Amino acid sequence: MIGASISRWTMSYFATALAWLFVALALMVAGFGYPATHLASPDTLVLVHVVCIGWLSVAMCGALFQFVPVLVAKPLFSEKWALPALSLLTAGLAALLVGFLGLGGRLPAWLWLLPIGAVLLIAGFGLVVVDLGLTAWLRPVGPARFVLAGLASLCATAAFGAIFAFADAGWAGSIGQSVLTTGVPLHAIAGLGGWLTLTAMGVSYRLLSMFMLSPDVDERKSNMTLAAGALAIGVAVVGGVVAIWFVSGLNVVLSITAVLGLATTALYGRDVIGIFSGRKRRQLELNTRMAALSFASLAGTALVGVVLVLTGAFAAYLGAFAFLAIFGWLSGLVLAKLYKIVAFLTWLETYGPVMGRAPTPRVQDLVSEARASKWFVIYYAAVWFGTLMLMASQPSAFRAAVAMMTVGLIGIVREVIRTRRLADVASPVRLPDGACAPHLLFARN
Amino acid sequence: MTNQLVDRINDALRVVIDPELGHNIVDLGFVYDISVVDGGAVRITMTATTPGCPAIHFLKEGVANAAARVPGAGPVDVVMTFDPPWTPSRIAPAVRASLGFAAVN
Repeated sequence: MIGASISRWTMSYFATALAWLFVALALMVAGFGYPATHLASPDTLVLVHVVCIGWLSVAMCGALFQFVPVLVAKPLFSEKWALPALSLLTAGLAALLVGFLGLGGRLPAWLWLLPIGAVLLIAGFGLVVVDLGLTAWLRPVGPARFVLAGLASLCATAAFGAIFAFADAGWAGSIGQSVLTTGVPLHAIAGLGGWLTLTAMGVSYRLLSMFMLSPDVDERKSNMTLAAGALAIGVAVVGGVVAIWFVSGLNVVLSITAVLGLATTALYGRDVIGIFSGRKRRQLELNTRMAALSFASLAGTALVGVVLVLTGAFAAYLGAFAFLAIFGWLSGLVLAKLYKIVAFLTWLETYGPVMGRAPTPRVQDLVSEARASKWFVIYYAAVWFGTLMLMASQPSAFRAAVAMMTVGLIGIVREVIRTRRLADVASPVRLPDGACAPHLLFARN
Repeated sequence: MTNQLVDRINDALRVVIDPELGHNIVDLGFVYDISVVDGGAVRITMTATTPGCPAIHFLKEGVANAAARVPGAGPVDVVMTFDPPWTPSRIAPAVRASLGFAAVN
């Protein structure tokens, strides 16, 4: 196979993910969870899981259903699993959130919802992992290896999460309680560092090369980056479990993981600089310029992390560190690429079938970068300001920053909807004979 | 006669664009060869920027559709190849400048 087909449900994943992101931002603007409550509070757990599962994981899964076939030039193992997986993930997250709200006393204590939510999430992620894993395994080269490492990390994250959920419901015995007491950092590292970051790195290699017409990263270099990243996650998960078993504390494991994580970030930075400097298209599109801001946020996250560790203040500022990683690096990159992917897929779906029969617009004709750029700038400026306000212990200013992020996001989503509706395409070529306007929430293929 | 048909097919393929680069595939240098055998059967060998890209299927179909509409063209066979790989040096100079491509590479 030399060309992948259009993923039918990627738009549905993106729409669901964006809806969860709005929920998360609304909660933060309302002062729900951290910094009003501490990082491990049930309210913060609600917030963290809305962002990490509802927004980031769902958006990443939607993108992977389209891009894993592109990465390996093979068809998806099963297109039919994508929608059931989305339904299971949505139901599982909802059950988990109600369970957390019960844990915090905001709802009746239906703690049995936590293991039910975990089982539903494992079923949903299980479909995703098997579908994408079997597809990527057919040709595990280059960026596809990052996706496989990310999927393995997702399994570890889900396993920790399930143990926590069963332990919170009182169904996991003393071993479950030990894992719950000590293992939360391992769950977070496997999820944010392994699943989301390694996968985002792998996909970004391909997307940056495709859209800037750069040579692919030298496989030896990207393998070195992946080896450092996979080793970091491996040390955290395996070493962490051993440390919990022997009740020896996690300090050594977390220190080694931090050093390896820093090395991974540095190697990834070297690779990305190589892609930018080797590009054949000199003019950068908006999605690439905005992705560069997410790379800057990743560098900033690493720098903040080093300074906080060296000054012994990491625990005190963990929230600000995580906020910058989640909203500057991961969310910034996902939003920048989502903006481009929606335009590209909308073009393929609408104009691909009539190519050769009628004149068609360019992908760039579906978007207005001049209009969209200000919303991205507002979003990133707000994220950086919010990080500073968290560090300065200014909760009101932090909520104002999140409100500003919401304004930026509303603008970005409005642009994406306009793209989907072909609102910026000039009328002579907007809908040539034989072309169908795309549906907002799924592909018609 | 055959050469004229090849020229007409080449012109007809200008309706097919690379959606990302926004120019027709002839000026972008995607078309490696057009051959017409006795009876009018057409064989077009072409490429694209990225193997695995979802646009490839549509580019191939679009080329087949455009060529089949040329009077005198018989059955059309489109072969997609990445050997040799496409490079920006294949782009017509005027288009290359408008796309902002590096002079080197």
